[in-house]
Amino acid sequence: MVDVNKLREKAKEVVSRDDVRLLIGYRPGTYGFRARPAFVLGPDEVDELIFTPACVNNLASYITLEEKLPVPRGEEPDLRKVAVMVKGCDSRALVQQMEEKAYDRDRILVLGIPCKGVVDMAKVEARFPNVLERGEIALEGDKFVLSFDGTREEVAREELVADKCLRCRYPTPLVYDELLDEAVERFADDDYSDVSELEKRSAADKWAYWEEKFSRCIRCYSCRNVCPMCYCEDCVLDRLQPQWMRRSVDISENTAYHISRAYHLAGRCIQCGECQRVCPVDIPLMELNRKFYKDVEELYDYEPGTSVENPPLLSTFKVDDREDFIL
Amino acid sequence: MAENSDFEPNIVAFLCNWCSYAGADLAGTSRIQYPSNVRVIRVMCSGRVNPLFVMNALQQGADGVLISGCHPGDCHYMQGNYYARRRFNLMRNFLEYLGVEPQRVRMSWVSASEGAKWKEVIEEVVNGVKEVGPMDQFKRRQLNW
Repeated sequence: MVDVNKLREKAKEVVSRDDVRLLIGYRPGTYGFRARPAFVLGPDEVDELIFTPACVNNLASYITLEEKLPVPRGEEPDLRKVAVMVKGCDSRALVQQMEEKAYDRDRILVLGIPCKGVVDMAKVEARFPNVLERGEIALEGDKFVLSFDGTREEVAREELVADKCLRCRYPTPLVYDELLDEAVERFADDDYSDVSELEKRSAADKWAYWEEKFSRCIRCYSCRNVCPMCYCEDCVLDRLQPQWMRRSVDISENTAYHISRAYHLAGRCIQCGECQRVCPVDIPLMELNRKFYKDVEELYDYEPGTSVENPPLLSTFKVDDREDFIL
Repeated sequence: MAENSDFEPNIVAFLCNWCSYAGADLAGTSRIQYPSNVRVIRVMCSGRVNPLFVMNALQQGADGVLISGCHPGDCHYMQGNYYARRRFNLMRNFLEYLGVEPQRVRMSWVSASEGAKWKEVIEEVVNGVKEVGPMDQFKRRQLNW
């Protein structure tokens, strides 16, 4: 795990630089085990920064989320870098954003954190409910050590770790300026067993499964807002002319929403699992994204967010792409 | 399905202006008889067809959707149909994953001289949709207040 003193020292050094405007990192939350994003503007603010397995947020989202206000006349735009702390999975979001030319590499400064897995907060809170005092989580060997209210509990890694970490292919960031710890070897792989299992069911069965999930959706758009790849300035959902998806909450419009959200991430989703994490009604959104991820890998041998040199999947083609489905 | 034997599906077809639309036109001028379930929408290229079109057609009461363009290599805009092919393949697999039968969303290459092929394509699509019955997964329903 990352040494917290080293992390703060490095953060201090980074935010003190003249060409860095802001550092985005993690700090402890208000209660329980949660961590929250921290926006550090100066060297005197670094003392709260942490990195623990509770740091689940994908901070890559904030780079594109930041509103670009018009620059007042006579003023120069602030072109200083944004420094961001990223885990392996989050770094792929940066790569994919740069692959799509959302911003240039020299606009960001990446502090990479090799990561052996973060917790799933839902699992933690199911196991240790009502922890109101600030608690801490650390990963020691293959156990999570949770300390809270003067007690210390050890739990096996498999019981609390987020599902995405069980199939993480890139634990070490793929893009970084500085690595805050030693690189971690790949320790897991993805066999898409969940997707292929659902694929094998009959059409009626599949629809029954998804109908139940989609009918729960309350259209809060959290999944869109948190997604590091959903950074269009003019989102198709907000458009009224033409209005592709009506705002009513019914099965038809909900399905339309989930189709278009998932399709917009086809060949772009980098499997950070943020959408599913923030969903208030527990729709398994990653199962939608992973279907595209699997197809894209199998049909076009393309893995999103792995190389800045790759052109985006759907803006290229090969003459000999598969076409056995065409009449 | 026996109870669907008199079911007449609505098929929305997006045809590219340069090949498939002309192909369908040729089928008409040659007086080739083909099922009348298809409603043609002319687009300038199969690459113009946004996956949202497909989704929206199914929402608004189409039982099947057909996208048809020029054969690979024949695109009037050089590459539009190659892009369409990639997009459509992903869309089709995804809709199948959600439980929409794969017979409902089809793609074909029909050139301007292939009036006879157009007939075969339409027959195949209509029969496929008749087999799976009316679209009832996520059709937009009229609310009775």
